[in-house]
Amino acid sequence: MNTHPTLPEFDYLRPRTLAEASEFLSRHPGEARPFMGGTDVLVRMRDGFLTPRFLVDVKGLDGMNELRFDPRAGLTLGAAFCMNRVIASAEVRTHYPLLAEACRSVASYPLRTRATVVGNLCNASPAGDTIGACLVLEGVLHVHGVHGPRQERLGSFFLGPGKTTLEAGDVVTAIHFPLPPKGCAGVYLKLGRNQLSDLSIVGVTALGYPDSTCLSGYRFRLAMASVAPVPLVPVEAERHLASHPITPESLREAAQLAADACSPIDDVRGSARYRRLMVRNLSAMALARVWNRLTG
Amino acid sequence: MKSAGSQPTASPIGENAPRIDARQKVTGAAVFADDIQFGDSLLHARIKRSPHPHALIRKIDTARARALPGVKSVVTGEDFPGHIGLYLQDRYIFCRDRVRYIGDPVAGVAAISEEIAQKALDLIDVDYELLEPVLDPELGIRPNAALLHPDLGQYVVANFIFPKPGTNISNHFKIRRGDVDSAWGQCAAVVERKYRIPHIQHVPIEPHVAVAKVEESGEITLWGSSQSPFAQRNLIAQSMGISQSRVRVIAPLVGGGFGSKAGVSMEALVVAIATKVRGRAVKLLLTREEEFYTAFVRQGLVAHFKMGCDAKGRLLAMENIFYWDGGAYTEYGVNVTRAAGYSSSGPYEVPNMKTDSYCVYTNHPVGGPMRGFGMPEMHAGLEQCIDELALQVGMDAVEFRRLNCLKTGSTLVTGSKMHPTGLPICIEKTAEAIGWGKKAPPSAPNKRRGKGLALMWKAPAMPPNAGSSAWVELAEDGTVTVGVGGQELGQGVFTVAAQMAAAALGVPYESVRIATPVDTRYSPYEWQTVASRLTWSMGNAIVNAAKDAKRQILGTVAEAWGETPEDLEIVQGVVISYKSEKEIPLKNLAIYGLPKPNDQGWRGGPVIGRGNFMPTYVTGLDPETGQGERAVVHYTTGAQAVELEVDLDTGRIEILRGVSAFDVGKAINPGLVEAQMEGGFVQGMSSALFESLNLKDGVVRSPSFVDYRIATTADAPKDLQAIIVEVAQDDGPWGARGIGEHSMVPTIPAIANAIYDAVGVRLEGPPFTAEKVYLAMLEAGIVK
Amino acid sequence: MALHEIHVTINDEPEQVAVPANMTLMRMLREKLALTGTKNGCSAGECGACTVLLNGEPVNSCMVLAVECDGARIVTVEGLADEQRLAPIQETILSEGGVQCGFCTPGILISAHALLQRNPNPGEDEIREALVGNLCRCTGYVRIIESVKEAAKMQSLAG
Repeated sequence: MNTHPTLPEFDYLRPRTLAEASEFLSRHPGEARPFMGGTDVLVRMRDGFLTPRFLVDVKGLDGMNELRFDPRAGLTLGAAFCMNRVIASAEVRTHYPLLAEACRSVASYPLRTRATVVGNLCNASPAGDTIGACLVLEGVLHVHGVHGPRQERLGSFFLGPGKTTLEAGDVVTAIHFPLPPKGCAGVYLKLGRNQLSDLSIVGVTALGYPDSTCLSGYRFRLAMASVAPVPLVPVEAERHLASHPITPESLREAAQLAADACSPIDDVRGSARYRRLMVRNLSAMALARVWNRLTG
Repeated sequence: MKSAGSQPTASPIGENAPRIDARQKVTGAAVFADDIQFGDSLLHARIKRSPHPHALIRKIDTARARALPGVKSVVTGEDFPGHIGLYLQDRYIFCRDRVRYIGDPVAGVAAISEEIAQKALDLIDVDYELLEPVLDPELGIRPNAALLHPDLGQYVVANFIFPKPGTNISNHFKIRRGDVDSAWGQCAAVVERKYRIPHIQHVPIEPHVAVAKVEESGEITLWGSSQSPFAQRNLIAQSMGISQSRVRVIAPLVGGGFGSKAGVSMEALVVAIATKVRGRAVKLLLTREEEFYTAFVRQGLVAHFKMGCDAKGRLLAMENIFYWDGGAYTEYGVNVTRAAGYSSSGPYEVPNMKTDSYCVYTNHPVGGPMRGFGMPEMHAGLEQCIDELALQVGMDAVEFRRLNCLKTGSTLVTGSKMHPTGLPICIEKTAEAIGWGKKAPPSAPNKRRGKGLALMWKAPAMPPNAGSSAWVELAEDGTVTVGVGGQELGQGVFTVAAQMAAAALGVPYESVRIATPVDTRYSPYEWQTVASRLTWSMGNAIVNAAKDAKRQILGTVAEAWGETPEDLEIVQGVVISYKSEKEIPLKNLAIYGLPKPNDQGWRGGPVIGRGNFMPTYVTGLDPETGQGERAVVHYTTGAQAVELEVDLDTGRIEILRGVSAFDVGKAINPGLVEAQMEGGFVQGMSSALFESLNLKDGVVRSPSFVDYRIATTADAPKDLQAIIVEVAQDDGPWGARGIGEHSMVPTIPAIANAIYDAVGVRLEGPPFTAEKVYLAMLEAGIVK
Repeated sequence: MALHEIHVTINDEPEQVAVPANMTLMRMLREKLALTGTKNGCSAGECGACTVLLNGEPVNSCMVLAVECDGARIVTVEGLADEQRLAPIQETILSEGGVQCGFCTPGILISAHALLQRNPNPGEDEIREALVGNLCRCTGYVRIIESVKEAAKMQSLAG
């Protein structure tokens, strides 16, 4: 780590349109970055990990600061809509409470005035707290690139720690969530070192909803934070839950499968061994809680 | 506790007088060292630091850095050959031939901006020859270990520190009392344990900062966030071979010290850099990352305890070996070794003691004074062994402590006798407040609940002649200014200083000001703001100064009234005679004196009260046995208890309740004393649950808030009780002794004992992270 | 580096400042405007000592670029009191004894003030959550939490 007392020098631009932003970014690959809340970018710049020549402020562009809910189409969350506003939004609280819960677990109130869900996704840290919710809620990214707008599914978006499928010139303008499955219930369990705040040692997101195609009549979606190079969806565990009756036993088995799917590392926050055990325990807890809420 | 209302306070001793420094802190007006405006000519310094834990410096090339536009000065150790250090002069201001820890300063740059200074660092080329590092004190003490200080035998050292030249041992303190070897045979129970206490850091929210300006004449002014302006003046002057009178230190409010800003650390660097840019102020502000490991840290400890008691639970013997991971330089830390040595029995009477306390050089960050000065590290293991011993002999842990704890007149590990102490009262009140013996059900099926208790003792660790002084002056309107050399770190010392001055002089508290900032040119001498010594030591000096001023005032008035001073008193700023009932306010009198009758002249004159205090009775200790007449000035004792829950799914600890009881002699300001107990408890709790610098291969792996976690609002217990016990200290002002450090000392073992009560596991050392607790429970078969 | 000319309102006073792109809001306040009430504890968005209100919401000013603040409204600790009186939270943190070294205090006051604006009657857990990003090393937080409760009472009495 080469932490500086001040930020390195760079140029700051605020383009007026998405097209302008995209064009500038593509003309300066590796030198220019889109800039929103800055809570990841500024820290990494200070630590010497990032040295962009240009920061391109995209916060005010084309609806990026808006949140729109359509009762048929779902929720479109503008990329620059900060996490505190997500938490406070009546539409989010009513229809996507899991997303609000995930946002609420991030850092602190002042940081969440700047932090964004899209920023959390683009930073692509396996520890990202809102990524699990976005995955289980089947969020889709709206990206504006040099060739115009396109969509990116989250399932294939993450390539490794800090790496995504985004290319030079891309600006993510929003994340869109389809209507959540009827009657769903979700929970985000995060284990940090402090009671609140902190990065996750392990994070488990669980969503359950009625689905007649599953043996039990319910389907579960899971996502794990901080236990693999990318946010992890433990497919085996999901399949197990879909093909078995839901009992304390089958929930335990699913939790073990989720733990088996992880490839955690040892780091200062926790050992791989402990992380695996916590995935098991937290998954069991999360599934039990969701199951209790689904079945009243 | 709410502060006193707006009525003038009669006798402020024992009152919650409102803090004298707080209003400016809530409006943003309070000036800390980084807030002082120096104007556009201020230069900024950055330090080039060693990336290696242990290496020889072969060559330093600063030419490219000097050539960078905007750079005004580049210095290395070549220009500063003097050693520096408080108890043992074992370091240079900048490294000269060798680097001994990652972060060791190798060169310094002053430039017109921090950015340019930082860029210049990258232009300084240093050739190192790597040496084998010493990373563990138990390995560093072995004869074949790499030698970190070959010149140890030549360092100037205080006469109560015993280095072993030719080794990495910079101090070896011994206790040999009674016959430990025979005593084991009489023990019904023996506990033998090893504890490993990691390095932590003070984490003041204000990082270290210092500004230095050297005039053409060579006169030096140093502004800084400092607990020790006079010690900094002295040590820097000594090291640079100049008179103390040519170094002026100005110290504004300190944003948290906890010992980190005592002695000298980064201040000397910026003074050195400033000597090359005469006439311009140079500022050095540590980044938070540098704060974690380049100023002072709390040294690590590997402690071996062996203790035994008879069948009735009477402690018979202790054999304790402490290997202090002192770090690269132990100029300050050597005294931690000593303090732990002469305190190594814990607050108990133990007839047979054998202690070896070693300060060992390692290639780790510099261990220095941190709140507790060795006591938290030592009690962490000692108080757990006491619990284990009690269990072995079938006694309740509190009962065991009642039996063995120090009482008035007990014989101490150094051979002297315990002064009057409220330790037994502290035990009773703590046990009662925590509901000792009663077990509440856990709050959920996946939790286990437990209670734990621990005791502590600590004496101010300082040279036998650490002194305080004070002056008292009055203005025309009768308001009072008190000059002190002690520093406000947040503990409230300016407030209690004003309370004591007001009470001793006889004026309302509200009419007293403290002369701030502390400035060695104008303020009276104070050894350092450490050791929880100011209320007692500086308090005595203030009382003496106030009495001196009072004597002058009463002398003048007595003469004017034809009475004797013994019949006069000052009450609420008015001189009154008990005999004649005459009255005269202090207004004008303390400056102009009083006129003689019939315009025949004047008597009196400007009043200036002076006072000092220095203990005269501390004796040396025998280097072979650690025995002596009086090892220390006094001890503050106390107890803490916690109630906590362990989460069986994660291993996470939640502290539900904390209780502290400390014998402070006399609480000059009870609210401030309670605040110290609360803050110390939480800092102790934080060190128990979260904190470690995570040293590996000489690298601090948690050098930022991201991974060095401290307690937040979400972690503070909902129920914290602070109990004041008052058994007077014979030579304390109104009987007072210190409290600042003590509330952090017993917290780790209180929590460890509670974890054992909850789930039956003990860990090798803090932090008691969820992971460690969970894996210990897994191994013990408590969870699967 | 080029300088950007920005217009900001700080504590109800309009200011015009020329800032380089890499200057944070925290540094602008402290170095360009001598508003040193806002403190630098880590420059990494972790400790909260630099918390100010940006368009009414608390932010870590070390994580905001000055250049982003063109047209913005900023409130620092110096702006919490009006000419006559301290804000309720300033009064109660004094009366409850929630100030020791004072270095975290400006950030705590801003975060607490903002909490009381959006939630005039917060419960204990809400107070803890709102202040979790403001680190204090001296007080142990108990009296700080009490002072927020008292300020809420004071505010509701004032109507």
